[in-house]
Amino acid sequence: MSDLLVVEDLTVTFPTTRGLVDVVKGVSFTVGRDETVGIVGESGSGKSMTSLAVMGLLPKGARTSGSVRLDGVELLGRPDRELRRLRGARMSMIFQDPLSSLNPYYTVGLQIEEMYRAHRGGSRRAARTVAIDALRQVGLPEPERRVDFYPHQFSGGQRQRIMIAMALVCSPALLFADEPTTALDVTVQAQILKLLAGLREESGMGMVFITHDLAVISSIATRVLVMRQGEQVEYGSAEQVFAEPRHDYTRMLLESIPRIDDALDDGVRA
Amino acid sequence: MARYVAGRLAGMVLILFLVCLFTFIIFFALQPDPAVMICGKTCTPERIDQIHSVLGLDEPFVGQFFGFLFGIFAGRDYGQGANLVHCAGPCLGYSFQTGQSVWDMVVERLPVSATVAIGAAVLWLLIGIVAGLLSAVKEGTWWDRTAMGLALGGSSIPNYVLALALQYVLVVQLQVLPFPQAVAFGDDPVVWFESYLMPWLVLATGYACLYARLTRANVIDTLAENFMRTARSKGLSPALTMRRHALRPALTPIATIFGMDFAALLGGALITETVFGLNGVGKMAADSIAKNDQPVIMAVTLLAAFFVVIGNLVVDLVYTRLDPRVRITAQ
Repeated sequence: MSDLLVVEDLTVTFPTTRGLVDVVKGVSFTVGRDETVGIVGESGSGKSMTSLAVMGLLPKGARTSGSVRLDGVELLGRPDRELRRLRGARMSMIFQDPLSSLNPYYTVGLQIEEMYRAHRGGSRRAARTVAIDALRQVGLPEPERRVDFYPHQFSGGQRQRIMIAMALVCSPALLFADEPTTALDVTVQAQILKLLAGLREESGMGMVFITHDLAVISSIATRVLVMRQGEQVEYGSAEQVFAEPRHDYTRMLLESIPRIDDALDDGVRA
Repeated sequence: MARYVAGRLAGMVLILFLVCLFTFIIFFALQPDPAVMICGKTCTPERIDQIHSVLGLDEPFVGQFFGFLFGIFAGRDYGQGANLVHCAGPCLGYSFQTGQSVWDMVVERLPVSATVAIGAAVLWLLIGIVAGLLSAVKEGTWWDRTAMGLALGGSSIPNYVLALALQYVLVVQLQVLPFPQAVAFGDDPVVWFESYLMPWLVLATGYACLYARLTRANVIDTLAENFMRTARSKGLSPALTMRRHALRPALTPIATIFGMDFAALLGGALITETVFGLNGVGKMAADSIAKNDQPVIMAVTLLAAFFVVIGNLVVDLVYTRLDPRVRITAQ
């Protein structure tokens, strides 16, 4: 069976006042069905831009070159009208800040329903049942009641659960998770990671997990792409990248992971 | 909710009471004796005393003030015996200038001001919001720059300049419109419309320019929100994304500003009404100030304050319906 997502030599260029700037420079990776690929890098490394380029969500004026194939179909250069049918249905995305990523003016139920109906059609009533099921699946208590709540009435972790429920409501084959735990408390982070890993395994979809946190990647990804300033620094299986990083930058990132024993030592000395 | 509204209404009554008090102090305590003005040239000290006693001006300040206040709700009597005049409630007294009941004047002129305000509001909302929306969607294009340039220019033109220019061009030079006349809608809808058209345009211009710029800024801010990216990532159509996800957050603040602007206008558009000779509350205010007609000044001041506080309350109540994050909690 062919790979789910194949990205080859992807370059993203932005026009700026100082001329054209490449924010992603020739990145290549593949995502298999039923696999998690981690993209790691500091802010501005181009990891989010890579995922937005695949989704066709780059800001106006951005130019792309290379190749992005989902199920063997080329996505780059396709009109937005066609990409729209894939977005949300075949591939979807969750974001870093679930509060600002949900529209504060509408109930979470409506925001899930509209997505389902955009792709599958059907009545509001039917979509509502689907939305309640989706909320139940991500472990939100009392989904029948809370489907009518507004985003601000939930906690940060619950909001991210809602985002996940929404992203998965059309059972996509590929999920982009762009720093989904960065804005959350550490204990909630672990819950969300566990939920994502569980749901991914259950559905057998492919996942691209974007983070600056190598510790998170090590627990979830089978393959890792390390990016820096738009360039692909390292790409390989998780074991290989963590055990024997070939690039200095990867080594530096690995060393920057705080260890609990270090922190304790510091605390005692201080 | 009911408790909240009750609290707000009590607050409104207090504010209106204070407005009343201060206006009363300024115009009745600090201004020259109205009796002299009413009495005219052929005046005797006896006549002035008589006017004082009829108007209650010989009473101490507190008595005068509460007499006025009481009259608004229950009506009051002026003078005694054969000279007794009963002013039925709601009584705002009689104009020093014309002797007309101030309440009747207000009732007669308020529809004119309301017509001016409503017509202008329809115009400026339509033009302002559509222009602002187009500018936001076409940000940075020649359309955007032209529209925003015009909006900046338009909001810098004083109303009276625009009014005179319009009158000169449309009425005097091109003769496409008649001079504004006081015609009821029922009598002659065409002349009615033609008479109000220029005041509407003049009043709407400044607001439309302001609203266009506000709408543009709000829509551009909203389009940059994270939830807009989410909406696109969900595969929603651009029309639905715009209509549902962008417009409501962008236009909600406009609704509150509109409520305040409109309420203020109901209290009379002073300059526009005066320039076009429309007998609205605004012109009444201008005339009364020019002639120091104290009861009328009191009335227009109170009326304007009344609309502003009511407008405030309505805006706050409407806002809780527009933005789900805003909920009323009674203290």
